Amino acid sequence: MDYYFLLFAIMAVGAGIFTITVKDALPSALGLLTVFIALAALYLHLNAPLIAIFQVSIYAGAILVLVVFVIMLLITPDEELESRQKNISYRTLGAILGAYLTVLLVIGVKGINQLIVQKGLPEGFGHPSLIGTLFFKKYIVHFEMASVLLLVALIAAIYLAKKKI
Amino acid sequence: MAGINEYIILASILFGLGIIGFLTRRNALILFMSVELMLNSVNLMLVAFSASRADMGGQVMVLFIFAVAAAEVAVGLAILICLFKHIKSVDINKFDLLKW
Repeated sequence: MDYYFLLFAIMAVGAGIFTITVKDALPSALGLLTVFIALAALYLHLNAPLIAIFQVSIYAGAILVLVVFVIMLLITPDEELESRQKNISYRTLGAILGAYLTVLLVIGVKGINQLIVQKGLPEGFGHPSLIGTLFFKKYIVHFEMASVLLLVALIAAIYLAKKKI
Repeated sequence: MAGINEYIILASILFGLGIIGFLTRRNALILFMSVELMLNSVNLMLVAFSASRADMGGQVMVLFIFAVAAAEVAVGLAILICLFKHIKSVDINKFDLLKW
């Protein structure tokens, strides 16, 4: 058994359960941070060092800081917020649906698994220079579209956060 | 090295946790974080399949998902701030302006 995988898988699942069960939003964000770090370690294991670095710098560094910043802005101290849905049928229905979809996913994707051919990894697989070559040759149009998408999202976020809307 | 099966099961469990969190919580910020959890499980599965098939396309796809997730979080949190200014709450049961 692979102890590296096991350690970080248990870390990810445990922190994920913590994220969705804890009452307040800030501990939840810290649990999500732990999930991101565990997944970055798993990416290193899967020959994807560039993805691991971006996972830490973009997700744990930028996105989560934005979420924590908004938590700081939004939660008023006098607000008493029940953590779960108060209607019991919503809660049970949500939990049952989630568990059912998980089982369905495991079964369904395990079926796909038989089509996969296990090949040996070529020399230098996952090296950042290969990803750069793919980005600027094969996926250049998608790269430009992603940059336009980020620009539009930036403008939209600034407009939405203005004083009066 | 753990095989593709273990990674599929781990990613499915994380996706399921994201669904359960999204459907059962009331705090809109925690709903956001559940969506992030689901996006991350999809990323894990893409990278696992990329390593299994020796195809770098999966890793490039993950980088595009990073860009889309960043845009989604920026716009979503801005919408949330707008809603909070109007309704003074982050409880999703109070966000019923468009309900008929």
